[in-house]
Amino acid sequence: MRFAVLSVLFCFIATGCATTGLPPVTKDLRLEDDERRLWNRSEEEEKVINRSGLIYRDKELETYLNEVPQKLLPSEIFVHIPFKIIVVRNHLFNAFAYPNGVIYVHTGILARMDNEAQFATLLAHEMTHATHRHLVEQFRDIKNKTAFLATIQVTTAGLGVFGGLASFIGAIGTIAAVTGYSREHETEADSEGFKLMADAGYDPKEAQKLFMHLKKELEEEKRKEPYFFGTHPKIVERLENYETLLKAKSHEERGGILNTEIFLKNISRLILDNARDDLKAGRFKIAERGVEKYLGTNSESAEAYCLLGDIRRQRGEGDDIERAKDHYQRAISINLSYPDSHKGVGLIYYKRGEKTLAKKALEFYLSLSPHALDRGHIEEYIHQCQEGGKQ
Amino acid sequence: MKKILLLLILTLSIGCAPWVQVGGLYKTESHNYSVELPQGWMRWNKGDDLLITRDGVLLQHIQIVRLNTDEPLKHTKKKFSKVMLPQEVAEVILDNIASNKDILNFQLIENSPLKISGNSGFKAVYIYKNKDGLKIKSIYCGFMAEKWFYGIIYNAPERYYFDKDIATFERVLESFKLTKTT
Repeated sequence: MRFAVLSVLFCFIATGCATTGLPPVTKDLRLEDDERRLWNRSEEEEKVINRSGLIYRDKELETYLNEVPQKLLPSEIFVHIPFKIIVVRNHLFNAFAYPNGVIYVHTGILARMDNEAQFATLLAHEMTHATHRHLVEQFRDIKNKTAFLATIQVTTAGLGVFGGLASFIGAIGTIAAVTGYSREHETEADSEGFKLMADAGYDPKEAQKLFMHLKKELEEEKRKEPYFFGTHPKIVERLENYETLLKAKSHEERGGILNTEIFLKNISRLILDNARDDLKAGRFKIAERGVEKYLGTNSESAEAYCLLGDIRRQRGEGDDIERAKDHYQRAISINLSYPDSHKGVGLIYYKRGEKTLAKKALEFYLSLSPHALDRGHIEEYIHQCQEGGKQ
Repeated sequence: MKKILLLLILTLSIGCAPWVQVGGLYKTESHNYSVELPQGWMRWNKGDDLLITRDGVLLQHIQIVRLNTDEPLKHTKKKFSKVMLPQEVAEVILDNIASNKDILNFQLIENSPLKISGNSGFKAVYIYKNKDGLKIKSIYCGFMAEKWFYGIIYNAPERYYFDKDIATFERVLESFKLTKTT
């Protein structure tokens, strides 16, 4: 009995103390047995996420985003780790990589980026986790520790309120997306990632800027998020690391590639969709900021001005209604055939009791959108306008 | 000691048997409404919500909710306002549902006006996928009265089950009355 206990104890200690360090992937990669199992499990978790209905589908955007990893690492690495970027429709700030190179990026974090250099920073950080085999190291480190399972369970239970993606990620995804890696691994991902983006010719000063935006927004909105890049202390840690790297490498004066125009062109639809999701969730200020960013590259968009109108009308504070009317009218002046602007302005007139103007606008809306889902409501308002009653 | 034992038995019996067989008039003074419930269905009062089902909540259920319009909603920061049109009230409710991260591929099919117990309200029909990938179809009817929002909801898997109990839901909906009207 004593022998058996001692054997188990020995095995436990031996496993716990096994060398966890692995060389980074360069020209050659032979997966170790436990690593192969992690890759297989990752593929299973990815299948669940990809089937979940949370994936943001945009072929052109996917093509563009998947060109960026090629700029960061030599092609021989892709033979072993075929990096692939997949966008997840989720307003929270995050991105996470599986060890087999599949990287999920949330719409929430993409919509906050200004240029390709910032995207490359995030990507290089995540790619380093994969090339430096951080996940298998992490798993080896925590293997057989019963506390691990408990930690995962507690972490995922706390995510209940965030639902969605949190419901679909498994144990590997939880480390990659939520808890993050050890501080050493994260620091290595920062420094190696920084090197990759700077060596690829991107402006190193941009590395910090993304995290400055995120920090500012988290503080302004008092947002509390469960994911790694959405937690305030982790953002501060990234900022400090990049600041040190920038100074150490004397990159402060160096310029570099930004690719602002092409980046914003490719993510502009995503910015607008993300703003629409923000509006649904009642995050009016963030939604407004998103639409204004979209208008920066699409100044003549009736859809965007109409959405600005919707944001103001639905918030309905201070001079919001007056501003909403202005936005709708601007949308109409850009494109008379965009139906929702007529509905928005019609509803404002209707609620003010300006029946003639309301009737005209709402009838025009129905003429442009005869199969509108809210046709019944609109017909009722038109009928009320004809009857002479206010509402 | 006896009192404690009695209290314990009572607590346990309540905790173990929340479902009650229903049928006929159901009246709740505290929630200010009455409704005719179908015979043979099971009822569960969950906080301010009334839930009834015949075969199990996953296969079909009708829910009656009452929300205090001054209190925040669970999934959206949008708020109700007294000057809202029924369509705008519907928008708040539907955005609250669409912002629920457990509800996937939310798709609105219909949003039309509806009188409920003499109040101007709405009827929204939508489908979504739940976490298990099952397609659910719902009818959400609701209206605002003073500081309360009332919702009468029918939920069932889109395939096979949804059509089976629409008529029952419509009877429940028609029978819904506010006890005290202003």
